[in-house]
Amino acid sequence: MRFNRSTSVALAGVLSLGLLTACSSSSDDSTTTKPSGTAGADQVTITVAGLEPGAKQDAVDQLNARVAAFETKYPDIKVEPQEYKWLASTFTTQLAGGTLPTVFEIPLTDGKTLIQNGQLADIDAQFKELSYAGDFNKEALAAGTGDDGKVYAIPAKSFYDVTLHYNRDLFTQAGLDPDKPPATWDEIRTDAKAIYDATGVPGYGMMALDNAGGWQLTAAAYSRGGRVQTTDGKTYTATLTDPAVKAQLQWLKDLRWEDNSIYPGADLGWGDINAAFAAGQIAMFTSGSDIYNALVENNGVTADFPYGLAPIPVEGADAGALTGGTFAAVKVDATDAEKEAAVKWIDFWYLSPLLDQTQAVDNATTRAAANQAVGTPVLPIFSRDQYELSLSWVKDQINVPLDHMKPYTDVMFDQPLVGEPSRSTQPTYGLLYPIVQAVLTDKNADIDALLATANTQDQALIDQGKEE
Amino acid sequence: MTNTDTTTNTSGTPNMAQVPDPGRRGAPPSRPPARRRRATPEPDDRSAISTADWRRHGVRRTWRTMHVVMLIILVVWCLGPLLLLAKFAITPTQDILRTPLKIFPNGIAWDNLDKAWNDVHISKYFLNTVYVAAGSWFMQILVATTGGYVLSVLRPRWAKYINGAVLATLFVPAVVLLVPLYLIVLNPPVVGHSMLNTFWAVWLPAGASAFNVVLVSRFFDNLPREVFEAARVDGAGPFRLFRYIVLPMSKPILGVVSVFAVIASWKDFLWPLLVLQNPDLQPLSVRLPSLENTTDKGVLMAALAISTVLPIVLFLVFQRVFLRGAGLGGAVKG
Amino acid sequence: MSKDVVVPVSPPPRGGKVRERARPRNPLTWVRGGGLSSLLFALPLLVIFGVFSWLPIVKALIMSFQETTFVGAATWVGWDNFQNVLNDPLLPIAIRNTAWFALLALIFGYPIPLLAAVLMSEVRKRKGLFSALAYLPVVVPPVVAVMLWKFFYNPTKFGVFNTILGWVGIDPVPWLQDPHLVMPSLVLQATWAAAGGTVIIYLAALTGVPPELYDAAEVDGATVWTKIWHVTLPHLRGVLFITFILQIIGTAQVFLEPYLFTGGGPNNATVTILLLVYKYAFGNSLGAQYGEATALSLLLAIFLAVMSIVYFRMTKRWSS
Repeated sequence: MRFNRSTSVALAGVLSLGLLTACSSSSDDSTTTKPSGTAGADQVTITVAGLEPGAKQDAVDQLNARVAAFETKYPDIKVEPQEYKWLASTFTTQLAGGTLPTVFEIPLTDGKTLIQNGQLADIDAQFKELSYAGDFNKEALAAGTGDDGKVYAIPAKSFYDVTLHYNRDLFTQAGLDPDKPPATWDEIRTDAKAIYDATGVPGYGMMALDNAGGWQLTAAAYSRGGRVQTTDGKTYTATLTDPAVKAQLQWLKDLRWEDNSIYPGADLGWGDINAAFAAGQIAMFTSGSDIYNALVENNGVTADFPYGLAPIPVEGADAGALTGGTFAAVKVDATDAEKEAAVKWIDFWYLSPLLDQTQAVDNATTRAAANQAVGTPVLPIFSRDQYELSLSWVKDQINVPLDHMKPYTDVMFDQPLVGEPSRSTQPTYGLLYPIVQAVLTDKNADIDALLATANTQDQALIDQGKEE
Repeated sequence: MTNTDTTTNTSGTPNMAQVPDPGRRGAPPSRPPARRRRATPEPDDRSAISTADWRRHGVRRTWRTMHVVMLIILVVWCLGPLLLLAKFAITPTQDILRTPLKIFPNGIAWDNLDKAWNDVHISKYFLNTVYVAAGSWFMQILVATTGGYVLSVLRPRWAKYINGAVLATLFVPAVVLLVPLYLIVLNPPVVGHSMLNTFWAVWLPAGASAFNVVLVSRFFDNLPREVFEAARVDGAGPFRLFRYIVLPMSKPILGVVSVFAVIASWKDFLWPLLVLQNPDLQPLSVRLPSLENTTDKGVLMAALAISTVLPIVLFLVFQRVFLRGAGLGGAVKG
Repeated sequence: MSKDVVVPVSPPPRGGKVRERARPRNPLTWVRGGGLSSLLFALPLLVIFGVFSWLPIVKALIMSFQETTFVGAATWVGWDNFQNVLNDPLLPIAIRNTAWFALLALIFGYPIPLLAAVLMSEVRKRKGLFSALAYLPVVVPPVVAVMLWKFFYNPTKFGVFNTILGWVGIDPVPWLQDPHLVMPSLVLQATWAAAGGTVIIYLAALTGVPPELYDAAEVDGATVWTKIWHVTLPHLRGVLFITFILQIIGTAQVFLEPYLFTGGGPNNATVTILLLVYKYAFGNSLGAQYGEATALSLLLAIFLAVMSIVYFRMTKRWSS
């Protein structure tokens, strides 16, 4: 057999090209952000941040129901939820890879930098069309606004302050009154020890894995009146060596090495600690006030769960509960039609249940029907009045244990609040969590030395960030 | 003998001609010539203890004991964790958490397997893993056979440069490729469209395995060239020669490469973690860690067990190929 | 050159240079001679290696001197990336941890497979069972193995290992939580997963011992132990030299275990060089440092290359 030479050349070309172009054709199926051009501009498809990996089926059903309602309302928009979880250690890969959904969520702290780096879409025009654009809490909105005064990210999913979550049953078993949760760090220590002694279950748990550990250390330090970063308005100074930070680390160390009443590992991240708490393996921990939602959504917590919610202790001058929040942002390469659709989704999924009675009731009904939490306390994205009004609309659907959240809800609007450090926030947390791990795992950890080193690195990061 | 050659090879002067054919052991017709028969017959692959030694009481007792002890250690150390995993897969969660080593837990939770397969969608990730493995296998076989054919059988003038360039990549640690490869997949030449979140991002780079090319071309080097010549005389072109002579003769080495390819892609973690971010495409290795927190322990253990079954079955079925391949790995990797 | 295929085996198969030069370089002759089909067959290799192996290597060299961002083109930054890497306070920690991992892996994983292989090579019945058992952990997907062992290492008294310790009255051990214990725990799992492969390599090498050597030793009246000492082990010397350096090259790039077990903790006790590379490139939510990542991976590659060369220079005398 003689092989035809010219065929072989052609074949060679086809083979090699086919090999590579095949990739592009198949990838079109999975990413839907490709602009459809002017012709079929009527129909637009967007992908949106959906649930976390491993969310329970009920939560998936509820999201799907809301998507269906949205698509009925806007027949020319198709919404495809995509599993999503913001993690410092994976976000960049998604950002760089262009695999973020059209609408995604970012922590409030990262907004400014992402805007500066040009990695978020300018959605100012679409945002201004919202009837309530002027009603946002000014400070919240500021973190999503660029230096050019345009809005790039919308305060959305949740605004919260760091609170104390506790297992009421374990309090009872230790002979403590679950209606009188500890109000100072010393009381938390005493109660943790009592619980550990009585039940063998660690009385306290501390996030120590990933940036979450640094975040919770910062929250605790702020609740003791400390700061990890100060500014005179122009320059920013790292103050990781603040006495409050040291005091909190010493406190953790004492719980670990003197009382043995804290979870002994340094392997709990944001999700792990939720799982441990839901499984009754720790009695108390601090995290955002809206954690109950996640406990239901991901860890299968039900109304039987002995959940208790209290404010974080506030001790000393300038002390306050650390606030935080989640923004919804739009992929930088989105077309105008996609931005339009994206903001409509942000309005529908995140915001309208707070503003519009019909939407609020619809949303609450589907959530309740799917056994998802309704009524978990959060900080208002708009105003306190609006927040309370929106809760009154859905009071029949509320299924969270409000009575057991009273210790927090009684004071949530009266307690002092503090914002997170504003420069190099996540990298700062990244420097702090190894120190949390150190005190939890090394009896002889030298807090002063560790903090001093971290402080130098942090200052360098802040200075670097300023140049850009 | 093997070791000396691999040493020279690793020291940077690879000399293909000198290296004995590692695949020959598997090539059907070439059995080692029978050794001269001796007074006490020894097995062909005799070791330090002779048959005569075995007859001695002291030797037998010592070595039998050592072998039994060793078997016990092997069972406990190598098989034990897997047996435990198998038990966990059907143990109620509370028992796993409280009494992990109890031999008879409180009832059997077949439910775990069902939940893992259906509710946690392990079935989907299992299929993804199969796709990833199948595509990677195909790419590796394609590149290694055609490449090996050019380098060892066709041998054009420029083959030695290609050969050198392929061998050189053996000396570059994988870590160097990680970031640039990721950026290439993001923005590949010619295509101009990110391959991220497509199986191609895993399949195509898998093909670039110098190890396979070396393995296959060494095998081809040792195929009897008389056969090729005869085929040529009969009028077979390069394609026919490849399809009807070379490929059928290289089944043993293709078996080894296939086993390596499938197992390697089943085990791969970091690369698919980076390029398959869409959970609908993720293989088991990437998916399992992200489910760790939110999945019930019993169900999670069932998921782990399911992920392990296929490689183990493959291993048990193709044991010989595996073990020969692993031995080869040592001889050639250097 | 495809004429070589036709050439009988008797002349050197690689083809004489003289003949090559003598051949006219006419394109038509080239095509007739099968040059085109050679190229066609080489195409998959050329494309795949070109794009996914050679190009990334070149790119790594370039990128280590550049700052790559997603807005705008990459800029040349000279040695900045290398400087940043070398000034990173995490680097000495990562080097120390990686070296510690490699050393422990050698202690756990080097002598035991040798012992096992020598013992196993003397097994007469069911040898296959022995090697199958030894190799079994190697086929378990590493992610599964790590997640399973993570559960074994549970620090409470309910953990699998701690339950066993409890039987003999030892208090629960924080396997992965104690900064001093965490690395040995990781290495123990890594050894479990890898040792079988080494055993099989040794076993394969042992089948190559020329039987005449044993026969000769027996003529000299050698006992079993002297045969093992003077024939078996010396024969393994070459393979031992290779597996030694291969193991070091492998463990210098350890990633999976620290990434999945501990994420580098506690207190950076398991941050390895590769974890640092990953952190630079993919682990910072505010921007990737690809330049630093490639610079560090190149430094590691250069170190390993230099070390291998020195190693082979040094051992050349003994291994042959």
